[in-house]
Amino acid sequence: MTADRVDETGRQRPGPRNGRPPAPVIETTALTRRFGTSVVALDELTVQIGPGITGLVGANGAGKSTLLKILLGLLAPTSGAANVLRLDTVRQAERIRALTGYMPEHDCLPPDVSATEFVTHMGRMSGVPPTAAKERAAESLRHVGLYEERYRQIGTYSTGMKQRVKLAQALVGDPKLLLLDEPTNGLDPAGRTAMLDLISRIGGEFGISVVVASHLLGEIEQICDHLVAVDGGRLLRAATISSFTQASQVLAIEVDEGSDLLAAELARHGLEPVSRGRELLVRIAGDATFDVVRDAVAGLGLPLNRMEQRRHRVEELFRDPAEHAADAGTQQTRRRDPSVQPTGAADGH
Amino acid sequence: MATDRIPGSIQAMPGTGVIHDIGYQSYEGRRLGRLAIVTALCLHSLRSAFGFGRGVKAKIVPALTFVIMCAPAVINAVAMALNHDHARLVSYDTYVGTLRVLVTLVFVAAQAPELVARDLRSRVLPLYFARPIRRSDYPTAKYAAFVLACLAMIDLPVLLLYIGTILQVHGGSEVWAQTRAAVPGLLVGLMWAVLLAAVGLALASVSGRRAFSTGSVAIFLFLTWTLVGVLSRISVTSSGGSSASGPGGVVRVTGAAHLFGLVSPFTVLDGVRQWLGGTSPGIVSAPGRYGVAYGVMLLVFLGASLAGFFLRYARTDVG
Repeated sequence: MTADRVDETGRQRPGPRNGRPPAPVIETTALTRRFGTSVVALDELTVQIGPGITGLVGANGAGKSTLLKILLGLLAPTSGAANVLRLDTVRQAERIRALTGYMPEHDCLPPDVSATEFVTHMGRMSGVPPTAAKERAAESLRHVGLYEERYRQIGTYSTGMKQRVKLAQALVGDPKLLLLDEPTNGLDPAGRTAMLDLISRIGGEFGISVVVASHLLGEIEQICDHLVAVDGGRLLRAATISSFTQASQVLAIEVDEGSDLLAAELARHGLEPVSRGRELLVRIAGDATFDVVRDAVAGLGLPLNRMEQRRHRVEELFRDPAEHAADAGTQQTRRRDPSVQPTGAADGH
Repeated sequence: MATDRIPGSIQAMPGTGVIHDIGYQSYEGRRLGRLAIVTALCLHSLRSAFGFGRGVKAKIVPALTFVIMCAPAVINAVAMALNHDHARLVSYDTYVGTLRVLVTLVFVAAQAPELVARDLRSRVLPLYFARPIRRSDYPTAKYAAFVLACLAMIDLPVLLLYIGTILQVHGGSEVWAQTRAAVPGLLVGLMWAVLLAAVGLALASVSGRRAFSTGSVAIFLFLTWTLVGVLSRISVTSSGGSSASGPGGVVRVTGAAHLFGLVSPFTVLDGVRQWLGGTSPGIVSAPGRYGVAYGVMLLVFLGASLAGFFLRYARTDVG
């Protein structure tokens, strides 16, 4: 359901729809993982993830890292099942790991070896023969933007460079799928942008399917084709980014005075305006919405200050648990729900 | 490389360099299986046990301990060349007991953390476990590597002793006699390596902190060994004996005092050697009819160490 298109190898970025049903890169069925008796990290999670870049979003503790570990076969599910590249995570874990690159969230690099040595060694551990491992390591490091510094000990690197080495070691075995856990962790804004560009390139030009786990939804939104939102180990929503944002276009109108009058006038035309601060927000249903607003403002003779088209941010996923529903129902739900207003966090743009 | 730049495809990244778009090439070559990966990890770990692939500092302890360990073999060769009676000074099966204990103790305590504590400290294990190997493959490779490392430390000097000796003896029968004496000595070395590598890695993997890791190995091995000496002394003193002696000496003891040697891996190893027919006087008195107890204790030490070591990596929070 999140995959628009697919090809046999799962390597290419979504191309034009070719009529065949999408083959998911990752598929989970009622996946549950408990730790002890009380902690439920994943709760009956059923989701399909297609080729391309998929954002796995959720607050800290939502179950993202647990899901990634189950997908790698490092943790066994308590119940339910998961497939990666059509391989079962319990019975065929080694084959999955041969085809998958993993970048953990935390620091995982030895300080006293050079990036070249380390990534070469990790290439060997992925099953690449010695000479080829050296070449792959050099290439991977070059792709992540490490050049002469790769001969220096990793302990001397900045956080941004370390994150690149972590990404390079995931790439060195030429995976078909990359699982990245919080890849922008600890980076400054410039570093974040660079890392996101890099991931975007890997998903695009390199043709590797990528799952990026993050709690920073604004970032994920910039590079992902698809989005899977989890909360409390449950699936909140899975959709393409575009279907999502289309459903959440709003128009913000600010008039110097007569805001109430305008609200009444717009409501008369069936727009259900929502007042927030000095602004009125209406859902955009098409060009007609703009005409109605323009005519209403002109008709009332109000001094129009600002009229701005806005997009709801992914953050709002977490404000409305009722939106578990499928994509089709979302627009309706949102219209009636005042909680869909853009709020502080979303006003940045 | 700077020459790879393609205009228009360069993204500037302030302060951290530049990404060049040179196109991604997938790897179509051969992929090795699990066995080859584990072998590669084993050899990589074996190299690191001697400080190869690391800085100069990492080579000091292994080099120094190896040189000290070889000294008796060299001295023996020189002495045999100078003396005309051609008698070998050092026995193959015990080498020089106390020296071997101290040198292997230092080597195991210093180098076992090199194999396991570094990876725990830098939290690199999840990267290994995310590779196409099984969880138990990691400790298997590390154990195999450290057994080989300890074997090299213990048996290469014995081989050197053998070579130094046969160069000084004359006649095929003499060489054959030396060979027959050396082989059990090499097997004793193997027994030492198998047990001490297990004990060392199990204790070294308790902590990622180098100091704790080395400390736990050194304290356990040294304390238990000293304890054997102290207990032996007490038993000899209380039974009115006058020839009390610590590790390295031979003490004639009776009854339950034979069991004191079960406390330390070193004395257990030497007890088993004598139980299995080793005649050279060692670091512990001959166990006599308690020999079986030494054999059982060897298996207990080995089993407990390996179980602890492997369970350490079975825990999910490690990965």
